Amino acid sequence: MLVAIADGFVAMRNDLLRLLGAVGIDVVREAGDPYPTPDLVLVDARVPGGLCGEDVPAAPAPHRRWPSVPVLVLSPQVEERYAVELLRTRTRGIGYLLEERVADVDDFVEAMVRVAAGGVALDPEVVAQLLVRRRDGPLDRLTPRHVQVIGMIAEGRSIAGVAVALKMSDSAVTRYVESAFARLGLTPAKDEYGRVLAVLRFLKAAG
Amino acid sequence: MGGGRSAALGRRVEELTASRSGVIDAAAVERRRIQRDLRNETQQRLTSLSVNLGIALATNPDLPPAVRETVAQAHEQAKQSLVELRDLIRGIHPEVLDERGLDAALSGLAARTPLPVRLRVDVRRRAPRAVEAVAYAVVAEALANAVRHARAGLVEVVVELTASRLRVTVRDDGCGGARLSAGSGLRGAAQRARSVDGTLQVHSPPGGPTTIVADLPC
Repeated sequence: MLVAIADGFVAMRNDLLRLLGAVGIDVVREAGDPYPTPDLVLVDARVPGGLCGEDVPAAPAPHRRWPSVPVLVLSPQVEERYAVELLRTRTRGIGYLLEERVADVDDFVEAMVRVAAGGVALDPEVVAQLLVRRRDGPLDRLTPRHVQVIGMIAEGRSIAGVAVALKMSDSAVTRYVESAFARLGLTPAKDEYGRVLAVLRFLKAAG
Repeated sequence: MGGGRSAALGRRVEELTASRSGVIDAAAVERRRIQRDLRNETQQRLTSLSVNLGIALATNPDLPPAVRETVAQAHEQAKQSLVELRDLIRGIHPEVLDERGLDAALSGLAARTPLPVRLRVDVRRRAPRAVEAVAYAVVAEALANAVRHARAGLVEVVVELTASRLRVTVRDDGCGGARLSAGSGLRGAAQRARSVDGTLQVHSPPGGPTTIVADLPC
């Protein structure tokens, strides 16, 4: 996997370079032409005068130079409203995480791989906010465990990923997902991405 | 004589109104500066610290158990400090409130409250920024109160904007007994409501439930 760190990624550039080097992921710089197109761009929501105006972090945006390359935005704060706006630009190959998630290296690498492959990585804080907005309604038909599983699917995780995080078996997670979909009246999904998108649509995070 | 006295009083009211609004503005500017410094310096450094501890853990599988345990604890503590710092920074004044308004800001607040919160925000235009900031502070304080004291199971937050007023109602099903006593957070929220000529009322009989209503002209 080839990862680009967008120009202006000042705050964490050295830490990210050290991390990517340590786990053996190749890095390209944005500036300079001879470089190949990366599989993933890391974008900083703090960029001064860029994505977030002066020095106030705000709504993230896809990358200008590589508009079609998967992008993972790292931000010192995350908001459901900004996530919804970001997902309006595209729902494939998109990530929006708190910058401190980088500290959990294995999870972060897994999120990079997932987004680079066209998947989604949404911060758990964003998902918690999305769930609050739907609390007054059909979520009442779910048990807390269902909500937890559905929330992790909304983060973009696979069945296996949820199983590891919740220390459950794959088949137990599958059963929870199937019964949650049935209770919410959602059509069973054909694949991992379809499952994520169905939940994001239910949460009104994606159109 | 009476006319002169009333004119003088009128001037005094104008002066006090102007100086009060100046004090409120200056306090807001100062809050934003503190917030920026915390975010751009303290939070950044702490993030870097936890990332580097994370790298140390992830890339050194053969650390002696005692060393690994110590590094893992430092890693956890750094991450926990970041959670607390972000709460503090956002509590000073959430940027999303200025950029996207009450609806967006309150969903973040509700999601971070360790109680189920039902949120209904019926606001079709933006209220003045100072009024929005007070409304946000009232909800934050009412939720904190429900978490700390009320032993509540559910909180309901309703925000409605009419032609001339912003009305905030926070109801919890807890044990009641909330007071506007000196030094309490609710007293601070009531003072902030008064700073925009609004009112804050607490109805909280022993045994509950508690209803807090802020009525803010705008």
